[in-house]
Amino acid sequence: MSENSSAKIVYVSHPGSGLARSNFPLECHVEDGKIIRSLPFYIPDDVRLYEINTTERGSFTRPRKEVQMPLAFAAKQRVHANTRVKFPLLRDGWTPENNNSAGRGSDSFSRISWDKAIDIIVGQLERIHDKYGSMEPVLVQADGHGQSGYLHSLHFWGHYLFDMLREKKGWGWWTQQVRNPDSWEGYYWGAKHVWGFDDTLGEPHQDAVWDDVLEHSEMVIFSGNDPEATGLGMSGSTALEMPKWLKKAGIKIVAIAPDLNHAAAAHADTWIPIKPNTDAALYLAVAFVWIHEETYDKEYIRTHTVGFNALKAHVQGNDDGIEKNPQWASEITGIPASVIKALAREWAAKRTSLSVYFGGPKIRGTLSHLAARMEAYVLAMQGFGAPGRQFLRTGAPSFYKKSLAQVPRYPDVDFHGLAFSPMIEYAIGHGPKSPVFIPRTLAAEAIQQRKIKWKSTTAALAKAEDQFTSYQYPASDDAPGIRMVWNENGSQPGSWGHGNNWLEALRNENLDFVVGIHPWLENDLTYSDLILPAQTNYEHEDLIVVQRSDIFAMFYQEQAIEPVGESKSDFEIHRVIGQRLGLDEAFPPPDDWLKASFEKTLASTRDNLSWDHFKKKKHVIYDCPTWEEWVEIKKQHGYSRHTGGLHWFWKNGEGLDTPSSKIEFVSERIDRLDPHSVERPPLAKWVAHSEQPHSKKAQTYPLTVMSNHPKYRFHVQGDDIPWIQELGKLKGPDQYFYEPCWIHPEDAAERNIGHGDIVMIHNNRGAILCGALITERIIPGAISIDHGAKIDLVRLDNQAVDRGGCINLIAPTVQEKYEKGSEIDIPEMNVSGFLAEIEKINHTRIQPSIGVNFDSLVKNSKPENIR
Amino acid sequence: MTHRNFMIDVDKCTGCNLCVVACKDEHVDSSYPPWTKPQPEEKHFWIKVGALERGEIPRVRVNFLPTMCQHCEDAPCIIACPEGAIKTRGDGLVWIDGDLCTGCGDCQPACPYDVIYKNDDLNIAQKCTGCAHRLDNGENPRCVDVCPHEAITFDQIEEASGPLETLHPEYGAKPRVFWQGLPKPWITGSLLNIKTDEVIIGASVEVTDLKDGRKSETKSDEFGEFWVTGLKLNNDYSIKISRAGYKDFTATIFLDGDKDIGVIDLPNS
Repeated sequence: MSENSSAKIVYVSHPGSGLARSNFPLECHVEDGKIIRSLPFYIPDDVRLYEINTTERGSFTRPRKEVQMPLAFAAKQRVHANTRVKFPLLRDGWTPENNNSAGRGSDSFSRISWDKAIDIIVGQLERIHDKYGSMEPVLVQADGHGQSGYLHSLHFWGHYLFDMLREKKGWGWWTQQVRNPDSWEGYYWGAKHVWGFDDTLGEPHQDAVWDDVLEHSEMVIFSGNDPEATGLGMSGSTALEMPKWLKKAGIKIVAIAPDLNHAAAAHADTWIPIKPNTDAALYLAVAFVWIHEETYDKEYIRTHTVGFNALKAHVQGNDDGIEKNPQWASEITGIPASVIKALAREWAAKRTSLSVYFGGPKIRGTLSHLAARMEAYVLAMQGFGAPGRQFLRTGAPSFYKKSLAQVPRYPDVDFHGLAFSPMIEYAIGHGPKSPVFIPRTLAAEAIQQRKIKWKSTTAALAKAEDQFTSYQYPASDDAPGIRMVWNENGSQPGSWGHGNNWLEALRNENLDFVVGIHPWLENDLTYSDLILPAQTNYEHEDLIVVQRSDIFAMFYQEQAIEPVGESKSDFEIHRVIGQRLGLDEAFPPPDDWLKASFEKTLASTRDNLSWDHFKKKKHVIYDCPTWEEWVEIKKQHGYSRHTGGLHWFWKNGEGLDTPSSKIEFVSERIDRLDPHSVERPPLAKWVAHSEQPHSKKAQTYPLTVMSNHPKYRFHVQGDDIPWIQELGKLKGPDQYFYEPCWIHPEDAAERNIGHGDIVMIHNNRGAILCGALITERIIPGAISIDHGAKIDLVRLDNQAVDRGGCINLIAPTVQEKYEKGSEIDIPEMNVSGFLAEIEKINHTRIQPSIGVNFDSLVKNSKPENIR
Repeated sequence: MTHRNFMIDVDKCTGCNLCVVACKDEHVDSSYPPWTKPQPEEKHFWIKVGALERGEIPRVRVNFLPTMCQHCEDAPCIIACPEGAIKTRGDGLVWIDGDLCTGCGDCQPACPYDVIYKNDDLNIAQKCTGCAHRLDNGENPRCVDVCPHEAITFDQIEEASGPLETLHPEYGAKPRVFWQGLPKPWITGSLLNIKTDEVIIGASVEVTDLKDGRKSETKSDEFGEFWVTGLKLNNDYSIKISRAGYKDFTATIFLDGDKDIGVIDLPNS
């Protein structure tokens, strides 16, 4: 170990998944205060792994090696990226007297001292309190992913700070941005009304589901499922391992998606390309074949469901005169009718499960709730929950359960093994803490419009009834609206809809003050008036809670390197601000906080491991039960050896979170609370809308954009790391790293586009530049651009375009579907499956930006110039 | 000491590219004398993962080919180097002595695998060392260490699970990186009875090598698709598709790459 002998080993949490949880950390080698390398973690031999034993298909387990996404291995570069915010920065155009809001996004910044930064922030908060009598004018955006430390890098502290100002100082409510169920949209707004599962965002529970699938399933449909991209990003090795189990078990994998995505390319036996966001039509035709050939589970329909006759009538065209037969669906979906029939027959004949990671491109588009409901319908028609007929999330989601984990794990470890941050409730909770709130999908509109009305809190874990409750912003007519933004996320324009409008909203003159708190200058951070430098996970100690994995563990993260510049952790930043406002008690020393959290876990209460001993030992990894122990545990929860998932419902025929407690083809709740909804009728139907190829708009914008979760960055994070760019981008003729845009050779030829050409993707919401990646991996008529590329606004001739290729800038916003001022029924996010056109661009027309990095944006950073 | 080699199983690689980043993480800004000086921040891929996209929609497959220096026994780069800076270790790993290299660049075009890179800052040529520094410490190369699928291993070739090949043996360099599952041409297509608009399942598909008479057989799957894989490039084949109740389909095909016959109508007999 000559080269490594002097290296100190530090465990560092996931670089981007955040929310106080991580998967397994990497083993980071540090020498002389420098990160030398990051290595996979190997689960020690004395930790017992699980095994899933099947009757005829062998035994399944996971390797001891744990990897993370490529971004994690690029830590060396990312920590010292040229975009690092090294010092508190003040926008040069901003003064307390004149916000010069138009300069946001283009002004330079100057370095200021921490003292001055806190003076300004506290001054602004006091001014708002004095003038308006509460903190309601402050929109707090603190619900993002980010780094995965338990305490220090959490992005929820803004809510906590303002909540404490209310509780301890009586400063009143703040405007809480509520994070909508972004990656689950369709299941949340739609499938919940079919089968419930309010506590898991509308996706079915995963209890012991692998035992069932590996023993019984003969076919698994990957419905846009991409564990190789999203799964590796979120869950690490587990997500890479699970698809291999399917192969080993001899289960056929059929991928249905507009693209041959990364998992489909690696694992699928058959790819059925489908036009973006037409899955509802495919499912209707599948139902048609089953009804026509009488190959659905009639007894199950009778005992487990309500309202099937309405679906049957709709499928047969008794209600609207249109038979939803395979020829009808073929026109819409682009799938040959013969293939639809073959799929339907295979699905009926073979024990088939359907797999998603979050839900793929179909689940985050306009009216995706109809596709999700239809998916639930067809699963029900084949006896959902029967052996081998399950809904399968590939990638060990740990909270998707009724009572048991997806793979063999002790229930007490599940429920008491890990430290649980109560802060999560602010972001992924049952409802907003502040009665003054705005859904994240309507944040821009809340700034721009006098009043906005909508239904639903959009909170991740809200009960389905909440989707029919009316809310408005501001809560009262004489309220001042939003005057200040507290941005800890830095992800709005790259991950949500119509990012261009969000950037415009940040330049609104009514916004007196915009605070950004972040480690890197990216996306909307440069639209701040004051930016506070946050640390990376390498710069502070913390607890690592390994919950996004199949094995549960906790690690102690030591500080690896000295803080970059004058950065502080997200927690410390809020703590010093809180202290200036007299909130010392609300922010105890971090070690006390971590210790108290640790002492509530089994490691302490059962295994008697002290906090101090844990810090020396550095990790606790919980054993898994043996197969026979697991079989015993399952027995106590009503499962036999090889059953799991929704087996209990298949057996009982009731017990779901729906009004009837059964699967509802016709939703009793929608029928009662919103019976005339065209957008979301009591029976889900195929509903045409303006973002589809047959709409009037498609005459101008004929291509449909689909957008996946990216493979190499994590949503918007880590996009400008050179190693990551080298992997994921296309270098243009001007040597710039362009975001790839997948386009089929036919569509490219029609537009005279060659591989690697710079192309402009544009619609009525703006334009972005990408590199053309010509491929057979995308269905003709669609183009695919992953979301979250780092924004780099430039001019193309005289037009403003984003050279970074951030597709969300021109994705729809829900407001477009409604008259301004009218109530928004479903404040869904629709960032995949919308119209655009694409054209080839000569790079000489591009006037490059000065670059979005510290040196280009910060004019005065020398200590003697500190303002 | 047992002799070990890199072995790459194409069927196991899913293209995650972790090996590429791990290699950079190991070598950028780190020096491991005498085997290598630091790799520059960008533009070097001592291992790269080629993504070979094959076929036409909807029958598309991607083969990922993690490719590093093939550590050839008759390495053309060694012959091309005028300074004698490229050497072979006792264990067979080929390395460039950064102290002797003058950066003349002669080795780069000599390498048929395109895996030698110029370090402009240090004015030397650089490439995969097989992580010689790690091997000497009893550790696996970084790409092997990080690979989540055991697609890249470093072991005795006798341990391989199947027959091994080398990359482009015709170059005559005698590579010492051994491969399994290297892409071979296929014939694919889908069977349909146009009259009924039904796919034809379970048809027998027989492909005969017209040179040596060897037959490859498969059946059309539940979607009417068939894949006959593992064929020879630039070779003549005949194909016969038959299913009771339908007319046979026969054709002869010169295979100059993957061949998708497309949708084949089998009328009722």
